[in-house]
Amino acid sequence: MEIQIKNLAKTYGEKKVLDIESLNLEREKITGIIGPNGSGKSTLLNIIAGLDDKYDGQVLYNGELIDSDIRKKMTLVFQKAYLFKRTVYKNIAYPLEVRGVKEEKIKQKVLELLKILEIEDLKMKIGSKLSGGETQKVALARGLVFNPELLLLDEPTSNIDPEYIEHMEKAILKYNKENKGTVIIVTHNINQAKRLCDNIIKLERGRVIN
Amino acid sequence: MKKVLSMMMAFLLVFSMIGCTPKTDTSGDKPEDKPGTETPSKEKPEAKGSIILSTTTSTEDSGLLTFLLPKFTEDTGIEVKTVAVGTGQALQMGKDGEADVLLVHAKESELEFVEEGSGTEREDVMYNDFILVGPKDDPLKLKENSPSDIKSGLKKISDEKAKFVSRGDDSGTHKKELKIWEATNIKPSGDWYIEAGAGMGDVLKMANEKQAYTITDRATYLSMKDDLDLEIVIEKDEDLLNQYGVIPVNPEVLGENSDKINNEGAKEFMNWIISEKGQNLIKEYGVEEYGEPLFIPNAK
Amino acid sequence: MDYILDGFKQAINLIISFNKEIFDIVFLSLFVSTTATVLASMISIPLGISFGIKKFRGKRLFSRITYTMMSIPSVVVGLLVAITLSRRGPFGRLELLYTTKAMIIAQTFLVMPLSFGLSFGLSKSRGKEIQKVAITLGANKYQSIMLIIRELKVDILVNVATSFSRAISEVGAVMIVGGNIKYHTRVITTTISMMNSMGDYPMAIALGIILLLISFIVHSAIYSYSKED
Repeated sequence: MEIQIKNLAKTYGEKKVLDIESLNLEREKITGIIGPNGSGKSTLLNIIAGLDDKYDGQVLYNGELIDSDIRKKMTLVFQKAYLFKRTVYKNIAYPLEVRGVKEEKIKQKVLELLKILEIEDLKMKIGSKLSGGETQKVALARGLVFNPELLLLDEPTSNIDPEYIEHMEKAILKYNKENKGTVIIVTHNINQAKRLCDNIIKLERGRVIN
Repeated sequence: MKKVLSMMMAFLLVFSMIGCTPKTDTSGDKPEDKPGTETPSKEKPEAKGSIILSTTTSTEDSGLLTFLLPKFTEDTGIEVKTVAVGTGQALQMGKDGEADVLLVHAKESELEFVEEGSGTEREDVMYNDFILVGPKDDPLKLKENSPSDIKSGLKKISDEKAKFVSRGDDSGTHKKELKIWEATNIKPSGDWYIEAGAGMGDVLKMANEKQAYTITDRATYLSMKDDLDLEIVIEKDEDLLNQYGVIPVNPEVLGENSDKINNEGAKEFMNWIISEKGQNLIKEYGVEEYGEPLFIPNAK
Repeated sequence: MDYILDGFKQAINLIISFNKEIFDIVFLSLFVSTTATVLASMISIPLGISFGIKKFRGKRLFSRITYTMMSIPSVVVGLLVAITLSRRGPFGRLELLYTTKAMIIAQTFLVMPLSFGLSFGLSKSRGKEIQKVAITLGANKYQSIMLIIRELKVDILVNVATSFSRAISEVGAVMIVGGNIKYHTRVITTTISMMNSMGDYPMAIALGIILLLISFIVHSAIYSYSKED
């Protein structure tokens, strides 16, 4: 697999922020991307997520260029997630709603995720009014609820309580094991990378360092 | 105290808002409109060489004054500053001593004005006339049956419930129209009677759009004629005449400040405009452009 | 000064005695401006939101033109609508000039750029982030726009209120295309303008007070709603 990157280059004006000759990210594995600030980690993640299509080179998903159908099979959880101004339940239900899943099935899946992330007590709270840690948990639940093939995480646990981090890491591992989900996580925390990842890629000034 | 303050606040708010509403353009004759605009200050006594003439918008808009006044100044050396307002406002300016001479058209109010001592005398100057215009095909055949009988024309309109646009803005023209209705003993009302609340030009356009009848002053109609599918159906009825008078303001209205009113200049203006020369000039005006005079001089 | 105080007293009397003419005028105003605001909003808000999140060439110039159009003078809109609806104009056969419908049309066109521009600006600054989330969660274009509208509904509601205020307080367009015809096309602002010319202040003041009250009520309602959110 599965994500093949070939001759990827991205520039902002004069500055080259990404320059990757060749990189393969494996299916059903957890890959960590680490590196200092400004090394191009988030940019790479955004390109894989299909949010940024202004680059040179190729990014293939199972051999195909990323289009809107492929985008539907993956999700990205941001460092500072945006939750909708509606209940946590409705927030987590959203990806299923846009896919036209039946109400009953939605309920079952949402309750399951609330349990996995230990946030059942937040169910009826308004998403936009939660604390930082709660927000990240809900955002992860919202990303996992539709069983994506690929889960992209952009520093999802920075600046939150260790207890919350533990819950989230447990959920990520469970998804990887039980649902055979592929995970790419950008983190600046080397210990977290060691705890979670099968492979670790190091970026520096837009290049891959071995 | 609080009450007074909140009252003041409300007053300020409402008036700042009224102040903001843009004035709509009402071309043509609108004698009673725009009170209080351009009131000149009389703080400094004017030199004997100039007078303030308060008059109605119709004389100004028709271009008559622009035509007459330079000739007056040439003859007498007196400069004239014109303030064009509604007839009511013009009379008020006279009472407040803010004008030296008036040229207006509301005979009854004018006579009252002189009687109460605000004016020294009054002379007839000229008249203009109103006309009834209507759709070119004239569905009521007013032009055939009563070409110079406005009362029977209006009666027919009301009987047939033909569309009629009224100024409805309390202007001189509107008052004139109501007076004629009154004379016919008809109280116009109903869907056919359209009360516009707008100036003469707007009303003519409206009548044109709705192919309705309306009463207008001849000058405004003639100046817009080319853009209208309307024709004169009734004219030259006694009831359709509009008499203008000239009145020098009585300096006594200002009490001890009576020297601030240029009564001499005012009298000179009156005598000039009712002189043979002034009258002939009035008769000339408009003939070239419209083929007929807009105002008919009738000083005695 | 007396005539001002008198004017206020008489104005209050007119209001509390539920003077029929005044309230007919107020209802017509509300009807025309509400209809126009709803029509304009239904078209402009989704369009504004979608243009705001779209990337396209010349977006900057487009923004500038849009913001200019937002403050298009009402008399200009009135004039354009009057020309098209007049008997000699392209839609003359419909005989719409000097009717309530013409007033609604004019105000709709007046408010559309405003409503579009406000939604466009809102979406440009805050819609992007929401769109990004929507895309990562699998929403299609239509679903993204609906989501943005729902997320920004308070701000959009404020936009709608702003549009409504503009509509109900403008005089130029309704005066030109409506003609201020008694019992038919006479609304609050055209009456105030006319009464002012006629020197009939009590009614003008009464309508001025009512216009302020309407504005106050609309904005308080929006304010308390946004507090709740």
